[in-house]
Order: sequence, then C-alpha cells, then structure tokens
Amino acid sequence: MSGGSQSSLREGREAAAVARPLRWAGLSVAGLLLGGLLACSNDPYPQADADRKVYYTALREAPRTLDPAEAYNVTAHAITGNVYDTLLEYHYLKRPYTLIPGLAEAVPEAEPQPDGGVIYRFRLREGLLFAPDPAFALGGEGRTTREVVAADVAFQLMRLADPEENSPVVDPFSNIAGFREFQQALVAAREADPELASLPPHEQYARVGGIEGVRVLGSHDLEIALSGPYPQILYWFALEFSTPVPWEAVAWYDGVTRDRFDDHPVGTGPYRLTEYDKQFRVILEANPNWYGVQNPEWKAPGAVYPSEGEPGDAEAGLLPPDVVGQPLPFIERIEFRREKESIPTFNKFLQGYYDASGIVKESFDKIVQNDRLSPEMAERGIELSKSIKPTIFYLGVNMNDELLGHPAGERGRLLRQAISHAVDEEQWIELFVNGRGIPAQSPVPPGLFGYEPEYENPARVYDPDRARKLLAEAGYPEGIDPETGKPLRINFDSYATSSAQLLQEQFIADALRAVGLDVRIDATTYNQFQGKVQDGRYQMFFWGWSADYPDPENFYFLLTCDMRRAESGGPNYTNFCDPEFDELFARMRVRDNDEERLAVMREMRELLERERPWIEIHHPETYGLTHAWLKHRKSFGISFPMTKYQDLDVAKRAELRRAWNEPITWPAWALAGVAIAVVVPGIRTFFRERQ
Amino acid sequence: MLAYVIRRLAYGALVVLGVLLFLFVLFFTVATPDDIARRALGDKATPEMIDTWKANHGYDRPLWPWQDPSDNLLVSHYTSLLGFDFGRSDVDDAPIGQRIREGMGPSLALTVPMFVIGLGLGLLLSLFVAFFRETYIDRAGVFLCVLGMSVSILLYIIGAQVLIAQLLRWYPISGFDPDPDVVARFLILPIVVGVVSSVGSDVRFYRTVFVEESSRDYVRTARAKGAGELRVMAQHVLRNGMIPILTRVVLAIPFLFTGSLLLESFFGIPGLGSITVDAIRGNDFATLRVMVYIGALLFVLGQVLTDVSYSLADPRVRLE
Repeated sequence: MSGGSQSSLREGREAAAVARPLRWAGLSVAGLLLGGLLACSNDPYPQADADRKVYYTALREAPRTLDPAEAYNVTAHAITGNVYDTLLEYHYLKRPYTLIPGLAEAVPEAEPQPDGGVIYRFRLREGLLFAPDPAFALGGEGRTTREVVAADVAFQLMRLADPEENSPVVDPFSNIAGFREFQQALVAAREADPELASLPPHEQYARVGGIEGVRVLGSHDLEIALSGPYPQILYWFALEFSTPVPWEAVAWYDGVTRDRFDDHPVGTGPYRLTEYDKQFRVILEANPNWYGVQNPEWKAPGAVYPSEGEPGDAEAGLLPPDVVGQPLPFIERIEFRREKESIPTFNKFLQGYYDASGIVKESFDKIVQNDRLSPEMAERGIELSKSIKPTIFYLGVNMNDELLGHPAGERGRLLRQAISHAVDEEQWIELFVNGRGIPAQSPVPPGLFGYEPEYENPARVYDPDRARKLLAEAGYPEGIDPETGKPLRINFDSYATSSAQLLQEQFIADALRAVGLDVRIDATTYNQFQGKVQDGRYQMFFWGWSADYPDPENFYFLLTCDMRRAESGGPNYTNFCDPEFDELFARMRVRDNDEERLAVMREMRELLERERPWIEIHHPETYGLTHAWLKHRKSFGISFPMTKYQDLDVAKRAELRRAWNEPITWPAWALAGVAIAVVVPGIRTFFRERQ
Repeated sequence: MLAYVIRRLAYGALVVLGVLLFLFVLFFTVATPDDIARRALGDKATPEMIDTWKANHGYDRPLWPWQDPSDNLLVSHYTSLLGFDFGRSDVDDAPIGQRIREGMGPSLALTVPMFVIGLGLGLLLSLFVAFFRETYIDRAGVFLCVLGMSVSILLYIIGAQVLIAQLLRWYPISGFDPDPDVVARFLILPIVVGVVSSVGSDVRFYRTVFVEESSRDYVRTARAKGAGELRVMAQHVLRNGMIPILTRVVLAIPFLFTGSLLLESFFGIPGLGSITVDAIRGNDFATLRVMVYIGALLFVLGQVLTDVSYSLADPRVRLE
C-alpha cells in the first residue's frame, strides 16, 4: 500500500519534471470525461441479467386488475395467462384450435341427462400445488402452499357469480344449473344479514350453500351440470376465469389490512408474480411449484413441448427434434417494462432490448416493403410473422329503424343490400390498415370451424351499379327519396373522436354518396353513442368483435334475438331478430364440428346474405416481429401468452446487442472542440478590445 | 408580512374552492359516471355491469345537495378532497394517495436536477451573453435562444432519443431503475432534454434583465470606481436582477412535485407526470381530479412564495 503510494509520488515528481502541471490537469479531466463516455451504454437492463433467460416485453398500459374473475383484456391476460393455469388449455401449434388437458387429467365428454341437462366430469391431477405465498398461513402456521383441490375451482365459480366481483362472464357461466339462483340467494342473504358481508367470501358462499350445478365429489373430482346443452362451456374452462383460486389468497389480500387480491395473483401456472409495479415493471419468475417442474415424469400435454402441429410447422422450425417432448418452461423470467409511447418502445426493440414487437404505424413502410420484411431488417435476422386475428369489423344497421330495419320490410332489405354493394372493403383495408387484413365475407373469421376460404359473399361484391339498381327497386331511383325529391338521408352514428377514425367514416359516407344517398355523419363521444343505442336513436354504425374462444357460436350469437341490445342489453347492437336464424343457431350451437354443423352454418350465412344486418368489412391481420434469438414462437391469435413454449438463445442475444449498440464517442470530442474554437477567440477578442 | 401572507392564503383558498367546483361540473356533468364505468369495464360490458360498477364506486348517488342533502356527490367531492382523502382510482381501485407518494420520488429525481442545472446554466449563459453584449457572441446567443424556444419539446425528446440513445448509443432510450447506483443513467437524457428545451427562453429573459441592469447608473459608478467587469456582473448586476428572476423561479418550485408529463411519459419514468398521463388516457377521473386539485394548491402556494421571496431578496419591498 505504502509502496504503491510512494511509487506514484515518484512518478508524479518525474512527470512534473517533464511537463507543465496544467497540461496534466487538463489531460486528467479529459481522461475522466473519456472514461465516463466509454463506460456509458444504452443497455437499460442490469448486467447481471445478461446471461439469464429473461424475456423482455413492453407493457403499454397497466392492467386494471389481475383478479381472474374480472381480468378481461390482452394486457391483463399477458400476466394472468402465465400465472393461472386452467383445467383445459389450447394446443400450442394445432389449428383449428384444439383443447388439451391442463390441470385436469382429460378433456371431459358431455354426458346428456334425461332432464335435458348435460354433465361434464373433471378430474384434477393429484399433487398439484399453488405457487408459494404467505397467504397460505391462514390454513396453518408456517404454510406457504397447499394442494389444489376441486373445491378451489368451485370457489372461483362462485366468485364469478358474486355481483360484488362484477365479472364480465356471468352470461356464459349462467348455463351452469343454479348459477343465477346462487347469485340471487347471495344478494338476498347479504341484504337480510348485513354482518354476512363482513365475513371472508368463502364463508359467505358456504353459508348460502354453493351453486347447485357445481358438485365437488372428493378432493379431485368436480362435476359441472349445465341446465341445457352448451358445448362451448369447455372453452370457458380454458380461460383464467375458471382457474382454481385458493380461498386463503382472497381472504388474505382483502384490500383493508393488506394489499388487494387484484394485485396479488396466487395461481398454479408456470410462472408466479414476484414484482408488480404498474408504473415501472412487472416480473414473473418460473414457479417452482408448477406441476411441470414438480412432476416432469408425467409428461403432461401442457408441460412438455408438443410433438405435432399443423402442416408447415415443421418446416417453419416449430418442431425441432431436440425440443419436442422437453419439459417446459424454457424461459426463467418474464420482465414487462412499462412503456407508454410506441416509438421509443419500437426503437428499443430494434436495439435488441425487447425480444418481440408489433410494428408501429409510423415505421410500417420502413419495416415492411411489398408485404415482406425490408432487406435492412432481414439482415438483422428479424423475422416477420403474420396471423389473421379471430376478429371482425363490420358496418351495422339498427334493425329497429323505420327506414333501414325490420319495420321497413322488403324496402329496407333492398336498401341494406344496396349499401352492402356500395362499400369497397378492399380499398378500405389498403387505406386504413396498411393492407393488414382480409375482406370479411361472413361473420366467421379464419381459424374457426366453418370458415371457408373459397367462399365469396355475393352480397359483398363491390358493385355500385348493382347498388343503384337495388336502390331503384327499393323505390329510391338514383338514391332520390320520392317523398322529398331529395337524396335519401341516412345517419351514420359515429363515436369517433380521432381524425383517423373520422376519415374512415368519411370513406363509408363517400361510398354511399357515390350511389346517390345523402349520408350525415353524426359524431358523438363513445358515451353519447351508447346513450343513442340505449334510446334506439341510431341508424348505421361501425363495430367490431373479437373471439373469446375459437367457436363460430361466439360470432353468430351476436345476431340472435336473445342478445338484442334494445331488449336485453346484450351485444346484438343491430337488434337483428329472425326466428329462422335463431332456429338454425340453436341447432349449430349444440352440434360438434361435423358436416351437419357446417351445413347449418351455410344456411345461416345465406340468410345473412339476404338480410344484411351486418355489412362485413374485414378481419384484421397482425404483423409481429421477433429477433432471431427468440425461438419456436408461433402467433396464437387469441389472447393467450403461451410464453412457456418459447425459448431464448441468450448468448446470441448478448452478442448481437453488443454489436448493435457499441457507443460512438468521437462526436462528443468534436463538439467540445467546436465549442472551444468558437468561444476562445470571442473571449480573446473581447479582452483585446477592452485593453 | 404575516397578515399579508394570511390574506393571500385566504384568496388562494377561494381560488381552490372555485377550482373544485369547476372540476365537479366538468367531471360529473360533462363526462358522466357512465363514461367512466364504460372505460373501466371495456367494450363488452353489459348495462348490468355498468350499473353494478357505479354502485360499487358510489357514482350512483345524486349529484347535487338539493337532490339529497345527506348523501350526494358534490358534498363528498368537497369533503374528501379538502380533507386530503383522495380515495381510489376509477380504473383499478388503487389508493390514489399511496400512488402519489410513490410517484413523487421519481418525479423529484427528474425535476430537481433539471431545475437546479437549468437555473444555474441559464444564469451563467445569460451573464455570459450579457457580459459580451453587442458582440457576435451575444447576437449568436440570442439567435440560438430564439431558435431553441421555437422548437417543440417533443422534437427535442425524439431528437435526443434518436441521436444520443440510438445513433451514438450513450444512454438508454427510455426506462428507469430505482437502484440509486444506476438511476442516473436513465435520468441524464431526460434532464438534458428538459434543460436544453427550457434554457433558451430562460437565457433570453435573464439576459434582458441583466442588460437592462448593467446600463443603470450604479453599474456605471461601480465601473468608474475601477471594479472589474466580472465583479460588476457577479456582485452588482446579478444581485439586482434577482427580483424579476425570482418571480419566474419561485413560481416553478412547487411544480417540481408534479413532474413532467411528456418527459416522464416518453422516458418511462414512473413519476407523477406519468400517473397523470395514465389517468388522462384511461379516463381515470378520480385520479385526474386529485392531480388538478394538487396543481391548484401548488399554484396558490407558488404565488405566496413568490411574494415572500420578493421581500427577502429586496429589502425595499414590504408586504402589507
């Protein structure tokens, strides 16, 4: 130590002997600055994580809730989908979408009952554990987890029925016998005994007596009795709404003495939440209690990489032999970083700091050229994936309207058909979504049973002449209303507030004006639009629907009498009601995917060709970008994260990140030089003049 | 002076009460609770769900005292905000008070250095250009200031992100880390942008003050007595120019707490500005009400502080 300081002292003396001290001082400051600049880097993550399999993704908005009874948007599902496992799951690769067993041992078969009801029997795997959490201390001191039992699923189903949870999926689960009755009994019991409401939810439910159609038969067997056939219920058991939830977590995270359950998911999934800061970051770590980790010998379908997929998957590198059958998950941590603005987020993806990304509108032309990845992006090893979303956008007509709807009879029908021929959806897709979408021919999007790619809807052919002819047949030659002698006035009720949305509506208005109609765009706020819908004061509108589950029933139900907005507050915004359609719907709803179901769907499609309550516009297509180091990722379409099937090549990532982000420091020195060159002569001139 | 401060605070209280009424009218009658509920619950929400949500959040009560004197939204709006009981967010039910306490740290970490560096640099540069008044340095300085003032802060943000973080790769484009050892890496870029975007107008303002001061008689006297130019600027001009500068500076101090909307949003800093942006985008009216209320309180506080600072900086000013 002392030797070192002596030697440096000596060197200092020698240095002082050869150069002026000022120069040394200047050089050391410059050295410090240079050192500071050389040490800088644009890497936003801790160096210690560079070699870990951490998947980085951006979180555009904070989730409202992570409570599986309520969470119903893509942002929340990106987290809850990894934290909560479900009784059933989707096969990662197969299309059409196929259900596989998850926490349940098998996908149950429907068992029709003499009374018209249907029973599904689930058997939970034995030895499943919840992720570690202090909440389990409620079940015994020192406990941090416990086994998952059938009663946990029953408890969650009761939570769905509880009006205090305000779950968005009460309707589909009301097919379970006694679901609504339990709901009413709970409300009545709370009213009769105000003290009841102060008890933890599981105790309240126990006092009310549970749901009749949810029968817990021992610790691992669960019987779900439906009051009538509803095969789609199985899809709801693949969504987090029906995941097993421990009563301890709900009682522990009560929002009064501790945080809220909405912010503390306690599940059975491959990951668990370890940090939840909505403004900064959300971290999911691999769950050590997950059944795939605890029991790799089971080789359960949801816990190993699949061995088969759809045609083309093997060629696309989605079935690599060294990965097939390997235990999941591959990625040890998922880190969501809060990013509010799309441009910085996308630029960070380009720097390699996010592993996957969508494409921002502003950069679309730079990234995609002639529908392919630009050479610059391809050179970086970035891959482009496209998938049509199970979503539809359409123009809807209020069928209660005197001019356009059911009351106008044949005239109204012809008018709707004319409108259907007047709108060019291909131009729409080109203009407004950068060509990212396909023209919709029927309510059913690709990827679902009953979608026929070769089918072209004769009523959706863009043909302005045909539209004019139909207008004339409807009694409006050249679009002129004989009563007024002026072009027929139609209101387009818009809830668009952005200029981009208004342009879209202007496009539709122009299309109808081109065939002679007079269209008035009545733009209001979304809320005022809802008010108009409630009062029935609307004619035409633009609307969309995304599938909750991959079954055509989830689209056709939007046009049934039961779902009319005006009557029941349901999502049938057109108020379309046709007994023939309803009868066909009732048949297709309960059938398995077979030829007869397809035949019924064709009949429904034909009816819609004629009736035109919807004028289908497009099914959107998502373009996703991934870096070369993100492996075996397949776009899923519906909002399931599927992160457990993906893998990262961290060595490659580190290498490319380094190559892409080497700091360039010379401009700093050049700038300092220029500044000195400008200021020093000025100062010298000044003092010379003063002297 | 105490009487004056109390009087100003009382005026301020009236302003705050007025702001609260304005907020109520805006948030409860122009945008109705239905609107808030729909935003919180999403497009697929049924009318039933919306009613339940309103009941759960207390928005189903009558608006005005004459509809129900014992239980109405107007009175609870006043009592809760004046009692600093900020309630819960409309979007995710999180306690707003806690969120504000959490956001204040990151906001201050950004705004305080920005303020101090901006003030120091502004004063230094303005003294510098005033010192060289009527030379090409002064003219070039003023030109650059006007140029800097004319450019939108968004351009500075995106420009800095592209130039410094993407092309030169010195600092991360955006992000944050509460770890004190590394937090500076994330703050340098937004601080530079914040300082650069505001330094133009500051320098131009301070320079005007200093140039005007330096043509006063006492400055000429000081020079005639042989005081050096540096001493004249630093001791005489700077001190006497403080009053107009204080007006600008002290008024800004309370707003350091509310953060910066655009900088925090673009650089991913989890401060109060960021929370406000979230509230605006998510129609979180409960949070917005609180943020506007806090803004009004800070504004009143800033004005009183400015007045007090006058009398401290200049003994001739007496607050009666």
